[in-house]
Amino acid sequence: MSRIRFTFTRDILLAYISHLDMLRLFIRALRRSNLPLEYSQGYSPHPRFTLALPLPLGVTAGQEFGEVYFSETIEPGFFIEKLAFQLPKGLELTNAFLVSTEAPSIAALVRAASYRAKLKETSPDDGKISYIKESLEKLLSKEEIVMKRTNKKKKIVSTNVRPFIKKAEICYEKITGLELMLELEAGSQGGISPVFFLEQLQGEAPAEMPGLHEWQIHREKLIFTDNPLSASD
Amino acid sequence: MFSEEVVINDLLSRVQKPARYLGNEWNSCLKDHSSVSAKMVFAFPDLYEVGMSNQGLKILYHSVNLHDDLLMERVFAPASDMENLLRENKLPLFALESKKPLSVFDVIGFSLQYELSYTNVLNMLDLAGLPLYSDNRSMDYPLVIGGGPCAYNPEPLAPFFDLFILGEAEEILPELLSELGRLKKTVSSKKDLLLQLSTCKGVYVPSFYQPLYKQGMLTEIKKLETQAPDAVKKCFIALLDEAPYPTSPVVPYIQAVHDRAVVELFRGCARGCRFCQAGYIFRPVRKRSMDRILQLSESLIQGTGYDEISLSSLSSTDYPSIDELVKEMDKVLSPGRVKCSLPSLRLDSYSVELADTLHHGKRSSLTFAPEAATERLRKVIRKNISEEEIFSALGDAVDAGWQGFKLYFMIGLPTETNDDVEAILTLCQKIRHSFKRRARGSIAISVSVSTFIPKAHTPFQWEPQLELSIVKERQEILRSGFNNMRGVDYSWHDSQASYLEAVFARGDRRLSLALEKAVQAGCRFDGWSEHFSFQRWQQAFNQANLKMEDYAYRRFEYQDCLPWDHLDCLTEKEVFIEEHKKAIGHNRDQESNK
Ligand code: SF4
Repeated sequence: MSRIRFTFTRDILLAYISHLDMLRLFIRALRRSNLPLEYSQGYSPHPRFTLALPLPLGVTAGQEFGEVYFSETIEPGFFIEKLAFQLPKGLELTNAFLVSTEAPSIAALVRAASYRAKLKETSPDDGKISYIKESLEKLLSKEEIVMKRTNKKKKIVSTNVRPFIKKAEICYEKITGLELMLELEAGSQGGISPVFFLEQLQGEAPAEMPGLHEWQIHREKLIFTDNPLSASD
Repeated sequence: MFSEEVVINDLLSRVQKPARYLGNEWNSCLKDHSSVSAKMVFAFPDLYEVGMSNQGLKILYHSVNLHDDLLMERVFAPASDMENLLRENKLPLFALESKKPLSVFDVIGFSLQYELSYTNVLNMLDLAGLPLYSDNRSMDYPLVIGGGPCAYNPEPLAPFFDLFILGEAEEILPELLSELGRLKKTVSSKKDLLLQLSTCKGVYVPSFYQPLYKQGMLTEIKKLETQAPDAVKKCFIALLDEAPYPTSPVVPYIQAVHDRAVVELFRGCARGCRFCQAGYIFRPVRKRSMDRILQLSESLIQGTGYDEISLSSLSSTDYPSIDELVKEMDKVLSPGRVKCSLPSLRLDSYSVELADTLHHGKRSSLTFAPEAATERLRKVIRKNISEEEIFSALGDAVDAGWQGFKLYFMIGLPTETNDDVEAILTLCQKIRHSFKRRARGSIAISVSVSTFIPKAHTPFQWEPQLELSIVKERQEILRSGFNNMRGVDYSWHDSQASYLEAVFARGDRRLSLALEKAVQAGCRFDGWSEHFSFQRWQQAFNQANLKMEDYAYRRFEYQDCLPWDHLDCLTEKEVFIEEHKKAIGHNRDQESNK
């Protein structure tokens, strides 16, 4: 048995498919590649494949992680060659490496992610820029930002997600337009999505605030507790 | 006319399920528009998830794109959020592959699968910026064509379409497109173009035929052009093994209604159930060889990466050596860990056994369609199966560990009485009681009841639909009966939607006006209960000065002219008459035995 961790990018062509769609897409591509997949046990065995952190709908990405088990040892170069051939336009494999089958799952290593949320409108007027600045300041000055979620037992639970915002800076240049640079905690210990963050930002400002669909979000990279390569064989 | 590619990125962030509009799926085919002689867009008048499950789409997409000088792209009915955005932004409906507006294609070809999608057809034409009526479209516009089961009586749509293809189009469609590419350079009028095309196999040009009415009744369908055939004969594939079959169909990103590989075992069905249009229009039965099926299955799995393959046909357990096929399939598929499934099971022990060999894992529920609950009524519709056989098959299933059944019935069948309807309750009760002890745990039954819709080209084409008020009464009998029965889950079809479907299934050309009014009134997705508004339809019929009941409740006489009399499905009218007489005869026998 062997385990391969790989990185990939997702561009706008494939930004509008869901996490489940992504999983299905990768698994079908792997099946077409004829690489010797390792399957789970049980009634309906499925290939042992995971993505480190779900990508929200509409979000492009620069360095995502996935991992997959094979029943034999597969050379990372061979893996890339075989799989890349089966991926649709919009997804690109950038790297692959063998890791120990004993190492924790890639999903368990995710701690945070960094994002750039770019205003689609390239030259926003000064009014809009200062609105965004103000509401960002207001949002960050809060001690508590509450996120409500229904849990598995159908109960509503509230969490203070303010501590999950590690960084939120505004960046404006005439040529590139307006961008928010975010670092948000993510993973099994809890976290928030950039979409939720933008929703909160909107909630702070008058109606002139740009709507959600006026932003293009890009996930630059995932941040791990451990170097995801350190467990290499 | 708008001819640039439609930029959709801004729209995608504002709609539900944006993946419906992406294109760029695995195996989708994007060709250079300037490199081909004819361009067609296949239009499916329902949502992406529904259309992408349609086997006809996959077959035709493959058989056209196989040719280097032809291209086919796809478009589906946009959901209302996307429709609104297109209209607000004055953007035309676009094809998924190239994102080009529909108006740049030579042909827009609609798949006509069910009557309740007709409003979507017109709405899509409107969103594409085409005049609705064929008369108002010059040669500069794409030809609007249609095919599929509803093309066997397309009269309510006739004024909007340039031509229909009757029958199985995978061989003739590429020929027709090539011919069109040639003709477009030489002929100067649309009429000449259509005249030339009308001589192709299976082609029906509605403007060459004129229905004549006397006192509101259709009396004759007059042929207007001598070149056109007296009756248009359906086309069909003679040798299935030699027909093109898609082994690399488009694999959707979002889950389609049927999200698996499909291999077709045979076409047609020899059972001859009298209500079943598919059984008649897909005659004769043509079988694919086992070698070919195995070879196709292997390439399908390789070409798609699916982990399930469906052995499809109208009645797959009727495939001559099905058990051998299933065994051979296992050899081909197990290395890739592919499941094999049968879509439709016959209600007999043999089929249950087969389902069992195919199924590994949890045995949740098996699906059967007895259609009627009394033996008498089953004889009327020619679903010849005795109660004994039903129970022995279900018993076998219970013994094999199946924990539930899904049963399909119809109400409103010709000669049906309240007794036949109550028999559905009795039968389900009996099933529950008989197997209570034999089953490990209780048996879950789900019953789905639809309303019979008389269809063209069947022995019941002369029969009226049961009156709406009585349909509702009978649904009520079932509803209250099942309410008091534990462990049975009952669902039924909207009676008004079935009524409307009956209106159009045997409708004539005059209905086109009601259709146009309905679309203007906002009717869309009539097959979806959350969108269906009977009231809007009533208004539309009032405006068109037509009565729904005249169509749904019409009892035709054998000598009457039927709106589809000029369309030949290759079964003689005499056969239908004979079958109809036999059906009604079963009823008489019963009466005299009383
Ligand atoms: S209902 Fe089924 S078995 Fe009967 S004729 Fe139609 S397809 Fe065949």
